[in-house]
Amino acid sequence: MPSDVRSILVRSARDEARRDGSRTIEAEHVLLALARRDETAAARLLAEAGLTEGAIRDALNREWEQSLATAGIAVRIGLLPEATPDPDRHPPIGESTKLLLKRAMDAPPKIGGGGLGPMRMLVGILDTERGRVARAFTAAGVDRAALRARAVTALAAGTR
Amino acid sequence: MTELVDPEDPAAGLAAVVALRRLADRLEDSQVERAMRAGWSWSDVAEVLGVTRQAVHKKHARRLVAAGVALRRR
Repeated sequence: MPSDVRSILVRSARDEARRDGSRTIEAEHVLLALARRDETAAARLLAEAGLTEGAIRDALNREWEQSLATAGIAVRIGLLPEATPDPDRHPPIGESTKLLLKRAMDAPPKIGGGGLGPMRMLVGILDTERGRVARAFTAAGVDRAALRARAVTALAAGTR
Repeated sequence: MTELVDPEDPAAGLAAVVALRRLADRLEDSQVERAMRAGWSWSDVAEVLGVTRQAVHKKHARRLVAAGVALRRR
């Protein structure tokens, strides 16, 4: 499967958004899409930090539970009633995805022939301490800053 | 009664807003589906949700048809 921005974003991340019942494609959906491409260096870097696809889903659910608990609501996400996803829905790109794409484009080295590959997108995702992805990493006990440093190094070394 | 969210931690309070919206979306999708499977009309669902029949239809009809729910005409 090709690992360019189009296929990751438009196909895999949109699948994730749909499955999640989300109206938009958010950074967490892009992260899951990256983790699913286990042939890529970005997915290997995530897996080395313990962030397999399943672990990311668990961490996102834990973040959800913790944030609901802040508002006094005690729920187990696994026990929530399910809704059948809409297979024909085409969620558009959401604000957190726009931000991660901008951060990915701005990350050194200057974007050139390599284009916007998985490692660059991962740097864009890891480049913020705000939002659900960063909070999920905290919930999972993952050192986001250290992971970002490794992704930045790999990108600088020419990994797409 | 303790305070709802820690007044010293707006990041946690804002994250709770996102979490509540996600919860409301999940509940709406699942409970509209459940009602329609039970034979409710769009008008009844809309009245309970406090929105127009057109709004609830526009938001959920395609998904429920794809899910194989037998929908009543009105």
